[in-house]
Amino acid sequence: MSNRTLSRRDFLKLASAAILTASGLLGLEGLFRFLNTQTEPLPPTEFDLGPASNYPPGSRKVLPDIPALLLHAQSGYSAISLVCTHLGCTVESKPEGFACPCHGSRFDPQGNVTRGPANKPLRSLRVEVTSDNELRLYTN
Amino acid sequence: MRPSFFHHLHPPTIPAKQARFRYTLAAGGLAVFLMLVLLVTGILEMFYYIPTPAEAGNSIQTLTFLVPYGGLVRNLHYWSAQFLIIVSIVHLLRVILTGAYAPPRQLNYLLGMGLLVLAILLDFTGYVLRWDEGIRWALVTGTNLVKSIPLIGNALYTMLVGGTQPGPATLIRFYGWHIFGMTLAAGILVAWHSFRVRRDGGIAVPPPPLREDQTRITRFELLRREILAMLLASTALLLLSVFAPAPLAAPITASAPASEMARAPWFFLWVQQMLKLGNPFLWGVVVPLAVLVLFSLIPYIFPKPVKPELGRWFPKSNRIAQALALLILLSIITLTLLALLPAS
Amino acid sequence: MRRYFLLVASFSLLLGLLITAWQESRHPKPIALTPTLTGQVEYCLTCHADLAEISSSHPVNTFGCVLCHGGELLALDANLAHSTMRGGKNPSDFSVVLASCGGTNCHSGTAENSRNHIQRVTTSIQATYAGAIANIRYTFGVQPDLKAVLGEFAIRVPESTSGITELAAFNPTQETNPFVQAFGHNCLTCHLSALPLTGSEYIRYTGCSACHTPTQSPDRTDTEKLQSNQIHKLTTAIIYTQCDTCHNRGNYNLRTMTFEPRQDLPIDRLHDYYQPIAQFTSCEWMLDCVDCHTRTEAMGDGNLYSVKKDIQYLQCKTCHGTLTDLPQTRTLTDPNDLAFRLVLLNPVIDLNLGDTLLITEKDEPLWNIRVLPDGTYELFGKADGQRYVFRPVKGSACLQDPDRQDSGSCHECHSVER
Repeated sequence: MSNRTLSRRDFLKLASAAILTASGLLGLEGLFRFLNTQTEPLPPTEFDLGPASNYPPGSRKVLPDIPALLLHAQSGYSAISLVCTHLGCTVESKPEGFACPCHGSRFDPQGNVTRGPANKPLRSLRVEVTSDNELRLYTN
Repeated sequence: MRPSFFHHLHPPTIPAKQARFRYTLAAGGLAVFLMLVLLVTGILEMFYYIPTPAEAGNSIQTLTFLVPYGGLVRNLHYWSAQFLIIVSIVHLLRVILTGAYAPPRQLNYLLGMGLLVLAILLDFTGYVLRWDEGIRWALVTGTNLVKSIPLIGNALYTMLVGGTQPGPATLIRFYGWHIFGMTLAAGILVAWHSFRVRRDGGIAVPPPPLREDQTRITRFELLRREILAMLLASTALLLLSVFAPAPLAAPITASAPASEMARAPWFFLWVQQMLKLGNPFLWGVVVPLAVLVLFSLIPYIFPKPVKPELGRWFPKSNRIAQALALLILLSIITLTLLALLPAS
Repeated sequence: MRRYFLLVASFSLLLGLLITAWQESRHPKPIALTPTLTGQVEYCLTCHADLAEISSSHPVNTFGCVLCHGGELLALDANLAHSTMRGGKNPSDFSVVLASCGGTNCHSGTAENSRNHIQRVTTSIQATYAGAIANIRYTFGVQPDLKAVLGEFAIRVPESTSGITELAAFNPTQETNPFVQAFGHNCLTCHLSALPLTGSEYIRYTGCSACHTPTQSPDRTDTEKLQSNQIHKLTTAIIYTQCDTCHNRGNYNLRTMTFEPRQDLPIDRLHDYYQPIAQFTSCEWMLDCVDCHTRTEAMGDGNLYSVKKDIQYLQCKTCHGTLTDLPQTRTLTDPNDLAFRLVLLNPVIDLNLGDTLLITEKDEPLWNIRVLPDGTYELFGKADGQRYVFRPVKGSACLQDPDRQDSGSCHECHSVER
């Protein structure tokens, strides 16, 4: 019978260990919250591209700050993100489409993957014309 | 049970009498603990602190107000640092007042003095890293004191400040000293100091034939006591840090503000008080150095404590050294209190 | 007993950690605001989210708080956050106004002089008090003429076209004449950088806010806010009671250097017109000060002047015309006309292109007065939006001598009070 009951010493040891473990977990939670804080403001998701007249019909303009490619076709304005869908390098716009300098991914002019480690097409981005006839690009 | 790594860091047994709190005041151990807290909290602060004049103050405000537990980490760091100075002085005093610097412990005494100096300098460099209005004049006067040293003053100043006046170069150098240069030196000295404690025979005790009490405690009991002390110290430090925030003023901008009384950090108030007397080199460099040298020479120039009297407070054989130490400490405390009085 | 030490110590540590977590949860959750003008995130709203927008032209999402007020934008401790605020609660105080309200995109330093409000107001007579100082000193023989040489603060305007390019600071303690000293002692509380007298009817801020932040209102319901001095508002619709904090003090007695209020009227110098030496026509009684007194009159034109009369020029005939001439008008053809900007700030009137407004002799638009098709005029009160219709003098039954069409002459017949 007495083999199954806990001695006082063992109980105290167990209790202390439990309390210290709980303390440790609390400390870890605090540490995690501490380390998980962002101090930098989120990067912008809306971009002013200026007057629409800067982008005449038929134009393909690389916007390196976003990075994106703005197209003005007959159907209107559209934009393709130049962020490679593999690991995020900025792809170069080429006559045959887009080429990524990092691991060799290739995309056709519409952004679909033609070769390379990437397996998702380049994102299409939304473009809007404001009431003052300016263009706005959205990356979200 | 089989002794763990931590058990093996301690001797198998130590004399029970000298292991008591009333003998050592646990001062040395507390100092080590506080240094560990400083190390950990300091590393955590490094995730947010930016060592440029434009960003330092803002990054500290971000850490204090906008990061979860950021204020706690900063307050822990601040209070551990201030208590480290106090505990180190208590430890030094204990060693002198129990004659525990007698041979073969003279080298270890010097190592400890080195640690005290490093602790004070770490406190000062950390203080400057705030780069707020509160530290502005302490930085100017402190670095100018270095300039007042004849012959090598200007070269030392340039090495310290990185330019002709305190600025971005100073901040990054102080940062380098604080997080690495002096921390590394302190780490080495702590290791050496702890090693010497064991090599010199542990806590100072009379030789075995002269001991009244022959009982000893095991390394298991010793570690248990240390864990207990750490738990209590942690709790006290935590509660203090939660309810008493570390000071912070507005960041330094180019123009000097309307002056309130500029106060030195508390551990240098005695020097600030002396500097009111005149010559900066004399009162700001020579006298403090003399105090340091005097303390360091105690094991060498005064009658040494005899072995039979070791292991207890106020042995007769080194009364002179004890008196001198207490006198100097009292003077420093008096000067500190005088410095705190409102200016007439 | 000993065996429990470790348990108790562990437990107290856990307790300490729980207290820490609880304290942390009690901190206010930071509320971030990134104003579009600065792009720097600030956290003032954490404590001040319930503060009303200061005006429709200074929306908080565009300006934020710190651009005007200064302060530590990341701090959530009140003392630290407020420690670097400009001018305490009032960033428009003249000691800090250039840093708070100035800048070429804001209220100073533009090419267009009429938009440099800070340069205008700091050189205006309401700020320099140059006229009163010169007048008193001349009256008591301390200076040889009425030309102003001293002002409330030293100021230089090298390009001033008024003949006065510089004022030195008036220092009452350096004056020897006892009357001038008494003037300095009693009367200097009514200029724009002075703290007002104590008393609820004197409460106002300094600087731009002396006029533009309404601390006194006709319905007197804001006494609580008045006492705690917490009015967060900027307006161009300035009610007459705001002017009355300084003006409408009573008859001034040069021998005692005090103001003497009238004894025969119930004294509410803030809300009632009773100024003893004034004559009031009906419109002066009904309208607010800002309905007539123009921007240039109140805030100056950037030059230093000795006397009010040099800058105040509005007359009855400015709006009513004379027996022989109609008041001057301008038809709005330019959508960027100043009148449209002013209406935007205080839309009491619905102005459109093609409307004809009255203008002053200096071409300032009286933007709240429009010519009606039948030749009369409609005025909308700037402070309350009340509509008034009035006629020009020309073609009326006025019997005044055609050569004497100044305001004083109009008052001879039309004043309601003496």
